[in-house]
Amino acid sequence: MAKNRVKIEDISKPSEKLTHLDIDEMMPLPPPYDKIEEQPGWKKLSDDAIENLETSLDDTIAIGIPKPKNEEEEKELVEKFLRGLEKLLQKENNWTFLQPLLLSLEHCAKCQTCTKACPIYEASGKQDVYRPTFRSEVWRRIVHKYLKPGGKFFGRLSHGDIDLNWTTVARLMELSYRCTLCRRCAQTCPIGIDNGLITHELRKVFSQEMGIAPKEIHEKGSVLQLEVGSSTGMNAEVVKDNIDFIDEDMQDLTGIEVHTPWDKKGADLLLIHNAGEILAWPENPGAFAIILEKAGIDWTLSSDIAAYDGINYGLWYDDFQLGKVAIKHAEAAKNLGVNRIVVGECGHAHKALTVIADRVLTGDFNIPRVSAMTLLEEIVFSGKIKFDPSKNDFPVTLHDPCNMVRLMGIVEPQRRILRYLCPQFREMTPHGVNNYCCGGGSGFAIMSGHNFQDWRLAVSGRMKLKQIVEAFDDHPEPETNKYLCAPCSNCKGQLRDLFRYYGVREKSGIIYGGLVELIVNAMVDIKQPFINFDEMQ
Amino acid sequence: MSVIQILIYVAALVFLVTNITRFVRMASTPIHLRWELYPVAHDVKRYKYGGSFLEEADWYTKKLHKSKLGEMRVMLPEILLMKGVWEYNRSLWLWSFLFHIGLYLLSGLIIVLLLGGIIIGPNIFYGYDSLSIIGQIIYNLSYAMLIAGCAIGTIGTLGLIIKRMSDHEMSVSSTFGSFFNLYFIAAIFISGLVFFFSGNPVEKLITFYYSLITFQAMPNLGAAFAVHAVISGLFLLYLPFTHMTHFFMKYFTYHKVRWEDSPNVRGSKLEKRIQEQLSYPVSWSAPHIGADGKKNWADIATEEGENGKE
Ligand code: SF4
Ligand code: SF4
Repeated sequence: MAKNRVKIEDISKPSEKLTHLDIDEMMPLPPPYDKIEEQPGWKKLSDDAIENLETSLDDTIAIGIPKPKNEEEEKELVEKFLRGLEKLLQKENNWTFLQPLLLSLEHCAKCQTCTKACPIYEASGKQDVYRPTFRSEVWRRIVHKYLKPGGKFFGRLSHGDIDLNWTTVARLMELSYRCTLCRRCAQTCPIGIDNGLITHELRKVFSQEMGIAPKEIHEKGSVLQLEVGSSTGMNAEVVKDNIDFIDEDMQDLTGIEVHTPWDKKGADLLLIHNAGEILAWPENPGAFAIILEKAGIDWTLSSDIAAYDGINYGLWYDDFQLGKVAIKHAEAAKNLGVNRIVVGECGHAHKALTVIADRVLTGDFNIPRVSAMTLLEEIVFSGKIKFDPSKNDFPVTLHDPCNMVRLMGIVEPQRRILRYLCPQFREMTPHGVNNYCCGGGSGFAIMSGHNFQDWRLAVSGRMKLKQIVEAFDDHPEPETNKYLCAPCSNCKGQLRDLFRYYGVREKSGIIYGGLVELIVNAMVDIKQPFINFDEMQ
Repeated sequence: MSVIQILIYVAALVFLVTNITRFVRMASTPIHLRWELYPVAHDVKRYKYGGSFLEEADWYTKKLHKSKLGEMRVMLPEILLMKGVWEYNRSLWLWSFLFHIGLYLLSGLIIVLLLGGIIIGPNIFYGYDSLSIIGQIIYNLSYAMLIAGCAIGTIGTLGLIIKRMSDHEMSVSSTFGSFFNLYFIAAIFISGLVFFFSGNPVEKLITFYYSLITFQAMPNLGAAFAVHAVISGLFLLYLPFTHMTHFFMKYFTYHKVRWEDSPNVRGSKLEKRIQEQLSYPVSWSAPHIGADGKKNWADIATEEGENGKE
């Protein structure tokens, strides 16, 4: 339990740090990760960072906000922030989330039911600043005091006091990147208040009004995707080459001839992967290709800008970036004349394109979008491919990507496949719509500047590590190979780093991977194991 | 006409008008992007485990069925038993439950007393000696609801006050307003108890309601009644301006956000509304958006060039 207690109004009071993190105070981990002295801890921020960037929230930084040069500049930024908050409450500028936001502005009963649900708050040892309601309360107090008539008196009285100054804004900006937008808190709120949404909307003010967002998700993320085609930096030629290599590798490995089709007009479905898979986990798109070929599916990839990369980082911080990318995805499908878009193993791509963009894509941009989970389930149970589940006879558990499960309700298709193909499948606790985030949600998995990676592994990923280890507590020995199925590219990014940080492969014998790899591994036609425990992380 | 009567008329009017205005305003905000959270109650088949229609590969070929009964099956235990608090915040549940039951009983009592005012008001007001069976039921029910509501509510509210003071998470996030609201409600319950024990409470209440319904002057009903009525009246005036309107705003948080999963179908009314909203002008200032107060959402989202900047 954290020793330093922080009140909401403290956010405005300048100090070196609003809170300090201490591994001793954090949620204990199960063995063999329980020895504090063996836990990696985190790097200190560099002197240069401390000197030039805003670092006064906690012991890490996610954005790296340059310190304003003078008071004048500070004032300007505070004023900009306030104008942004105003726009958030205007229907023209924020019709997209106005209603849920207004509901969350006015009706919180401060019962703190939500706090118990937050993995970051719990894992941090209950650091006050990470409480789901902390940043929401700061926002509410500012709105009531500075934007409502008579707020200086009534707002303060009924909602509590706060001073709006640069310290408040800078800390709030960083604080909006200490929440993975997993919305577990919202699920437990008896009134229906959504602290995850409030974080999301604050991020929008910073991006849409002040032009401030972590560079990994903006400049090197959605901007790059719209300019080059993918946040990985791959243009159409490079991605095609890479897929060619993957096809060849798959053929070598499995003996099955695979030719990934590109830009096939009139195909039944356009498959959109998270392009990160192509570079980091090529066996995933490779396994997809094998399954689709063997099942005789009429499919294609698209080489149009942004359409070979399913990511849509705007989902986490900027409605306009979200809209632009979603339209590119839909446009590619429209150009090819496909019947539907299938989203590969990427949770946020699923939600962005299927659910969130549903009310952005109108007319002939509104092409049906379906989850790869459902397509794979159809294929696996269609009888078109022969399986031998004994090939997957090792302990397997499933991570539920928040975006796909709690926020889309795609819960069972992947489970039906696993129950059929993996004799030793077991659930984590809790699972399904009550799952815990991997700790890499909302962009964290790709954010590693300064010492932020240490934070996301020691704090935001802590609960997930605990869950994973406990799911295999009948086989703690590293000699037994175990598989964590994570059908989401973003989650895999976080799990890769988490596993390396704690040495999970070595200490517990667990590797992680996607769903398609397990499907291919169980195929009768594949002579050698597709999943190689020695080579995979 | 007494000050108390005027206060109650004004309070009732403000309560109704303000709450209706708030409801209508919330109902007329633009349709928002989908932001559902599973489980979704109207999907009866899949509610148990939190599944959605998106679990079917051909979902877009089927008509979505929303079961009102399914929604009610979730809402009723939530409203009556505080199921969410029971599941996720057990140590708060007892106090929250008693507090809400106290409020429900007193709110229900208002309806019973309005009926009572109409049906047995004249008997009591003019001192007729016998009551019909229905009259007796109303009389006894009012009696029971008053004492039970006030007693249960007092325990619940005091429990909530102590919990709010002693629980770290609750105390650090409490404001003057959080405690003020609880003290205010405690005052209603406690003054109600005092009034109950001041003698003939139901006769006094029915007399009062009858005078309200018939716009007649009320007789002197004693100090205990006056205190309880004034506190209750002031609370009615105050409530619509607080977070406590969640008692009806929950309709929106549950039905219009958490469970709002209607897909956008080509040519539908929903699509038309979205298209209208996509034509709202944008004035966000960040350069990458390239807004000028005239360009609308659709213009910006479809703009070609260097990430929106020509
Ligand atoms: S967000 Fe909900 S659960 Fe959290 S304090 Fe507010 S009302 Fe309670
Ligand atoms: S959305 Fe998730 S990480 Fe963010 S405050 Fe809520 S529970 Fe915590």
